[in-house]
Order: sequence, then structure tokens, then C-alpha cells
Amino acid sequence: MDEQNILHGDAELMNSLSALCAAPGATLGDAGKGVPQGVAAEHHSMDAFGNAYHWYRLVEPGALEPAARRLKEKGARLCMISPYNVRQMGELRPEICYHFELDGVVYNLTATPDARRPAVPSITPIFANADWHEREMMELFNIVVERHPNPRRLFLDEKLDAGILNQAVPLSVMMNGACTTDLWERILAGKGDKA
Amino acid sequence: MSAQTFSMPLGPVHVALEEPVYFHLTVDGEIIRGVELTSGHVHRGMEAMATQRNLIKNTTLTERVCSLCSNSHSFTYCMAVENVLGIEIPVRARYLRVLAEEIKRVASHLFNTAIQAHVIGFKSLFMHVMEVREMMQDVKETVYGNRMNLASNCIGGVKCDVSPELLTYIRRQVEKMRPAVAEIRDIYASNSMVLGRTRGVGLLPHDDAERLGVVGPVARGSGIARDARKDSPYAAYMDMDFNVPVYDGCCIHSRTMVRLDEVMESFGIIEQCCERIPDGPVTAPMRQIHVAEACARSEAPRGEVFYYIRTNGTDMPERLKWRVPSYMNWEALGVMMRDCAVADVALITNSIDPCVSCTER
Repeated sequence: MDEQNILHGDAELMNSLSALCAAPGATLGDAGKGVPQGVAAEHHSMDAFGNAYHWYRLVEPGALEPAARRLKEKGARLCMISPYNVRQMGELRPEICYHFELDGVVYNLTATPDARRPAVPSITPIFANADWHEREMMELFNIVVERHPNPRRLFLDEKLDAGILNQAVPLSVMMNGACTTDLWERILAGKGDKA
Repeated sequence: MSAQTFSMPLGPVHVALEEPVYFHLTVDGEIIRGVELTSGHVHRGMEAMATQRNLIKNTTLTERVCSLCSNSHSFTYCMAVENVLGIEIPVRARYLRVLAEEIKRVASHLFNTAIQAHVIGFKSLFMHVMEVREMMQDVKETVYGNRMNLASNCIGGVKCDVSPELLTYIRRQVEKMRPAVAEIRDIYASNSMVLGRTRGVGLLPHDDAERLGVVGPVARGSGIARDARKDSPYAAYMDMDFNVPVYDGCCIHSRTMVRLDEVMESFGIIEQCCERIPDGPVTAPMRQIHVAEACARSEAPRGEVFYYIRTNGTDMPERLKWRVPSYMNWEALGVMMRDCAVADVALITNSIDPCVSCTER
């Protein structure tokens, strides 16, 4: 791949986002902040058609606000927010990837919130179209979005517990109960919650 | 709330809505002062289902996210997988993907335009547009064997080649459709009944469109030239000669004209694909799955579709997340409906070409 093409993007913006990333090789801090071990703080990729994608792992969730403000100043658009769980040392830890687009280039920011009480600041005051994404991740992933201007449920009825879908056991996990440990891990985790 | 205003529920199942969604309208006489939207009636948990299936099975699953944009979902999903695995698809497959995508775009835009005539009460126009659209439905059925889900895309390329005879048939159908759609476009551009109900109604000013990050014909009808096919060309779009129609009327009529102009542009793209398609293989081999993440985006009929995938070294994705165009456009309804008449609600809703099933996944 052509190095010039890989680095296609707004240099000034890329420098600002790099400054909000952890130094390469940084480890998880006491409060669960920083970059997990073995994960690059920043990398750049290009698809088969020459479109550039830049990936940044924020030093802490609080860095999201200055990063989002910088992207807004540059005229970027929020495309999507992807929350997901990563299994680490047998425990699920949430991470959230924010995808922005500017002049055909995609900038991805990954926030690594504290696993014990996953929380990120709301970027809806900066990007109005983050509203639905943030409300969805509050109700489906039980992630606390701080200072959200309208934290109502989006899909699920208000009476249902937050993160209810994390508790569900899919049919395939049930069916494979005899040959994998997934089912028992889930049951034991459920017991732990009650205790 | 003042003594003059009252609340009016609309939905989740209503004669003027195609799919279940709940509007809570605050009205002052017949004029709407506020809109709140409640969704969630058809949530299918498809993103969770995707993590229980292997990468190949997910091509079939994602094609069922939406009916009218079905091809765009499997297309973008396959691109995301190809990006995460580092697969480069053959040139012939790039052209065949664009061909299927534009055939679907023509059928999708004509469907939305027909429904607009239906909501207005212009039944003869509705029947006529659907009749013209039927020619593209015939193309889908003849070439792909199905009228909605084409099952054309696969990881690494396309499942089936299209023979020279079928390419000639497609071009003949386009030749027949072009004057018919031009005539339909003239009707929508000049008919007093259509203009009376659509021009200057359902306004989404340019600034609001930018603020809400709307996509597709909703953005292009508010003066924003945003189209992933031009902004970050993929498949064979970089080889295609086409325009991105943009109108700045910010109303229902502007969105309709964007769609009808795009149908004409799609005809051009289909013809270019049929003329220029090179010979060669239509699939590339699968590659080893590593721990990685990637995203991909494309321009579906309703606007940008965005996919994100994380692989963990197994054949099942650790996470597959997608954002459909309607997800970005729903909140614009709050702006469009403000100070409009209750009677225009269905027409304004139709103008964003909404899809509830894909919004909720």
C-alpha cells in the first residue's frame, strides 16, 4: 500500500487526535483508564479502493469531549457509535468506538471506560446526531452517558432494567452448554450479581 | 401546555404509516407544535444474532436488515469483512456489485415516489409509477431470480456472474424505462396537485440538516452534496460518470426531485456497467481471520450505510454494528413537522423514506 495514501487526511486534526491518545505501550491505570496492554494507541489503514481510516485510542473517556470538539471545529460528521464488550481475564469490559467522517476520510476514536462503572461523557451537546446512539448504548449496554440532555429510553420500555440484553442467554450458548464454558460463566456471573 | 394545545397519539399501527412507530404530537388546532417519537416495536436483536453466526452466514442475515436497501446491507457488510481480512475483490465483481446496487436504487426510489402519490390521493399516478417500477422488478427476477433480496454479494465478490445476454436484456429494459421515468419526473415537477401538497411543506433548513447529520436524499434535498459514492468511491464508482443531484428547496418536493433525478443517474451507471464490465473472475479467495477491526460505508438508496466489525481470530465476529440511513433521518421529522398541519404528517414521514425495521434491527 502507498504510504502517502494511508496518511490521507487532515494533518492538523490528526496531530490533535494523536495528542489525546495514550503513549504507545501504556497500560491500564488504577481507575481502568488508558490503553489496554498489547493494543496500539493509534494506527492507520486503507481499504482496497484507497479510502483512509484512522484509529485512535483515547487516553481516558474524558478526552472524548476535546476530541469531539476538535472534530466539530474541522467540520466532521458523526457517522456511528459502536459499543462492544471485550473479554479480558474472564471478565467483560466495555469499549466504545466513535466513527467520524471528514472529506471522505473516517476517523475512529475508541474510549475505554472503567469496567466497574462504565461511563463516558455525552457528545450530544457537540454532535446533535449522537443523541440516539448514546441513548441506545445506555439501554442496551448499560453504559452511563454523563450529562446527556435527553436520557430517555429509545427502544425498550422504561420498566425494563438497563442492559437487559447483556443478561439474555442466546440459544446457541444454551445448545453448546455441554462443550463450552460460556453457559456456566453466565450462570455463575448471574449468581454473583444476586449475592 | 396551554389550554389551546392538546396531545394526539399517532401509531404505533396506523393506516397512514407503513410500519409500527409511535408519534406523540402536540397540536394547536390542526397545527403541530411538537413531535416526540417512540420506537422499539419491532426490535429483532440482529446485531446480537450476528455474533452467533459465522462470517459467511452473516451475509444472508444482513441482507434481511431492510427490504428495499437489502443489497446495500450485504454489500457494505462484505466490504467491512474484506477490509478486516485484507481481501481485494476482482474488477468484474466490483462492476457487478455496482450493477445490482443501482438496479435496487431505481426500484427503491420509484417505490417511495409512488407511495407519495398514494398518500396524496393521486391513485392513477401511484398505479402508473408502480407499473414502471415493475420493469425493474422484472430485471431483478430475471437476472437474480428474486424480486427483493438479490443474494448477489458474497465475501470476496459476487455469487453469480451475469451473462452477456442478460446484460443486453438489462440495457433494453433501461431503454424502455428511461422515457417513462422522464415523463413521471415531469408530472412530479409540474402537476399542481402534487406541488400543492409537497412544495414548501415539511421544511428541513440547511443548517438543521447539517446539525442533525442527515443522509441521502434528505440531505441532498436540503442543499448538502453528501454521497459516499463520490466522497469516498468504492467498488467501481470511481470509474463511473454520474452527477449527484442536489436541491435547496429543503421541502418534500426537493427530496422527491432528488430521488427522480437519481433514478436517471442510476440508469446511466447501469448502462456504463453493462458497456464497460471487464471479463475475469468474480470472487477472490477467503483469507485467514486475525484479531482486527474495520469499518466500511456505502450509499444506499436512503443514504449512507455504515458497518463496523471486530474479529477475534474465530469465524464468528466479536462485534458487528451497523447504522442505517433512517436512524440518522428520524430526528429531522421533529423539525419538518413543526408548524405543519396534522394532515401532512404521513406525507412528511414518507419524504424521509423511513424504514422502521432497519432502524430497530
